[in-house]
Amino acid sequence: MLKRFLSERPLRLPHIKPYVPRPGDPSFCWFNSERDDIVSEVVNRVCMAHESDRGRLEIALNDAAFHEIRRLEKQHDEEAHDRLGYWRSMIRRIGKMDDTEQRRVLHTIVTNMTRDVAGNFDPRVYRFARRAVPRMIGGIMEPRHLMAPAPDAVGRVLKVQGDVEHLRKLQSEGSLVFVPTHSSNLDSIVLSQALEVSGLPPTIYGAGKNLFTNPIISFFMHNLGAYRVDRRIRVNLYKEILKLYSQVMIERGYHSLFFPGGTRSRSGMIERRLKLGLLGSAVEAFSMNRVRRVDRPVWFVPTTINYALVLEAETLIKDWLMDEGEARYIIEDDEFSRIDRWFSFFRKVVGMRGACIIRFGDPIDPFGNNVGSRGESLTPNGREIDSGGYIERRGKPVTDPARDGAYTRELGEVLAKRYEQDTVLMSTQVVAHVLFRHLVQSTPGMDLFARQRLRGEIGLDCETLGRELGEARDRLQELERQGRVRTSEVVKGDTPQELLERAPSIWNGYHSSTAARLEGDRVVIGDPSLLLYYQNRLVPFAEAIASPDQRQAACEIENLGVHR
Amino acid sequence: MSLRIGVVGAGGCGRAVAQASARHGHEVVLWSRKDRELPDGIRMSTDIADIGDSELIFLAVPALHAVAATEELGKVVDGRHLIIHVSRGLIGAELKTVTQIIREKTVCRRIGALAGPLAADALAEGRPSGAILGTGFPELTEMARDALGGGELRIYDTPDVVGVELASATVGFLMVVLAYAQEIGAEPSTLAVLATRGMVEVSRVGQTLGAKESTFMGLAGLGDLIAAVAGDQRPEFQLGRALAQGAKLSNARGKVGAYVEAIDVARHLLEHARRLGLETPISATFVALTEDRISPDNAIQALMERRVGKE
Repeated sequence: MLKRFLSERPLRLPHIKPYVPRPGDPSFCWFNSERDDIVSEVVNRVCMAHESDRGRLEIALNDAAFHEIRRLEKQHDEEAHDRLGYWRSMIRRIGKMDDTEQRRVLHTIVTNMTRDVAGNFDPRVYRFARRAVPRMIGGIMEPRHLMAPAPDAVGRVLKVQGDVEHLRKLQSEGSLVFVPTHSSNLDSIVLSQALEVSGLPPTIYGAGKNLFTNPIISFFMHNLGAYRVDRRIRVNLYKEILKLYSQVMIERGYHSLFFPGGTRSRSGMIERRLKLGLLGSAVEAFSMNRVRRVDRPVWFVPTTINYALVLEAETLIKDWLMDEGEARYIIEDDEFSRIDRWFSFFRKVVGMRGACIIRFGDPIDPFGNNVGSRGESLTPNGREIDSGGYIERRGKPVTDPARDGAYTRELGEVLAKRYEQDTVLMSTQVVAHVLFRHLVQSTPGMDLFARQRLRGEIGLDCETLGRELGEARDRLQELERQGRVRTSEVVKGDTPQELLERAPSIWNGYHSSTAARLEGDRVVIGDPSLLLYYQNRLVPFAEAIASPDQRQAACEIENLGVHR
Repeated sequence: MSLRIGVVGAGGCGRAVAQASARHGHEVVLWSRKDRELPDGIRMSTDIADIGDSELIFLAVPALHAVAATEELGKVVDGRHLIIHVSRGLIGAELKTVTQIIREKTVCRRIGALAGPLAADALAEGRPSGAILGTGFPELTEMARDALGGGELRIYDTPDVVGVELASATVGFLMVVLAYAQEIGAEPSTLAVLATRGMVEVSRVGQTLGAKESTFMGLAGLGDLIAAVAGDQRPEFQLGRALAQGAKLSNARGKVGAYVEAIDVARHLLEHARRLGLETPISATFVALTEDRISPDNAIQALMERRVGKE
């Protein structure tokens, strides 16, 4: 009951008088005054696209009723009790409705769905969160600092890299769309913190409706501009609404954030296949503004979020190792929903310098071109070009969803490439890779699943392992010089022996199983699935960092990224 | 509607594209490093800036020269330009497609790959023919049809750009294999087995690079192979025959008079397949033949002795 109440009606603080944005406030502060206008623009655009064609309109209504009935019949909850009757009666009547009735029903459905999606932004909550979140995280990490002013625990653990100054300049010239890799539900929190400490603006973002069931998270999410995405709803109209909502917000200059991977990377690999829906909304926002002669460009900021320790690693890799058909798209019972795991996690990372590195990559325009300091698009040899040319047809700017769809697919490929180049490899990932490669090398012909059962059976003496680790690190640094990937300061600075000791000490004590442990002068592999998760970050580089006798094992590792 | 069309490359293919476009009433400029005689209606230029005025650009250079040509082109094009390339090769051990090279070296994004059983002389003279355009941009297909189509050339389209490029490049290799087999007296049924199993083999590798199997079985793959077998005098066929007559690869290439990339493509493809653990018996055997690691008799025997499975 409470769960439904919270997910349906998020809490808002009462307003005595409306907030009047001040100069210098982020664009978001204007959101509440524009909210109704934005909702009606989305509703009008969706309805207009369907109303001109009775066939299309009827299909949309049938599709909505069919999918909603199917979803609600499975849910057996109060929402099902309330809404099933409406949809069942509607699906019976669609064929008998005249045009006006069908349009009216469409308008009602689209309005309700859009209102459910649209977020809220309360500047008071924003100001509170700016102060409280770092202190809260710092407090969890070091309880003695909970009441003390401005602990820097977050700053020690969270490092920000990239040309932040460039992004700061661009923020007032157009819409920034942050498109990070996605490993953990903590991502949106750490990223908003990274934006905050870097002097970058807050963004709108879509959050799964399942996250709104936790009252505290729901309160913050809802009042900090998150729009709600109910991934259980399969209705096509709903997908159109989500896309258009994102598009209209970007057209209006709101900075935006979405995870093109769609969901957390189950395998731990750098995302390669991206979901293009929301990415496309930003490309179409650019086109629409250009066609309307509105000079508000859109820039994408490929961002990588790199953790030495991942809160939900165990659940995620377990899910990936299941048959693809059984893997769950929405996981509601992972470490993120357990506050005790949060505490263990933060207590663990407190002693680690740079446990999380956020790297803001160089911004690109919607066509994958680099962007100069004034926001101008550049060719590979630095010539300035007009990005408006991409949407011209015979000299005139035009909207064309098919063309923009193709641009979006290409942008997806550019982002996947940038993710590789901007990934910062962490100590745990590099150590896991060398250990996992040894496991593969020692068990030729064995499949991935059989290897997962080899707990405590394979080990390697520290000296050999240290040498292999040193060689892998040297080759990674060579790749770094070529601009193919990056490594953390710890990977660069520690000796192989220190790295060897560091990684197990990070994993053990947080993860419920032991990834690897030191036994005298040997390192013994405990849980290969955890090693697999952390090493998967290095899949694209496995062959490039292998010696000739490790190449076969490295090829097998690289193939993990091809077949799945 | 008259289009401004630019053609890069003055080889047989470039000239044919320019002639077909001019015949359909478009304004055509052809760029080449050296000044050349061209048929009426085509303006010759050695200044790449002249290509910058075009709306649609055809890149008609061998894949071998694609990097240099696109670097040149990259100086004058921007997001307004649409590019179609007609190259049949892949570049380097990474098996880069020409589309990838265009994307790297220029800022053009509306790119297509034209392939299939399209012969330069048929195109130049306007004889009925067909081709496939791999592109994600429907507007590019429309423009290609306006530029070249008319009543003579049926241009089908597919969004599987990489499929078109890989099919087109790998089928070139199968052409060499078939010509070789034909020359050493293989039966029609042997040729049929080599062609169909060869197609399966290259499409299996192609799929790991993002191509669709159906593209290999369409105009870009099977269609092109049928045209070559039916006798359209492809250089790949000439190379296969020369090799079968005992010429070494470098000499055989010399005899053909054009640089055929098919064997290089096959080598790189084999290396890629080996890394992924894919079976490519026909390609592996033929490459071994060209490197004198196996005799023709042993090659056939080795292929025939392989375990037979389901199709």
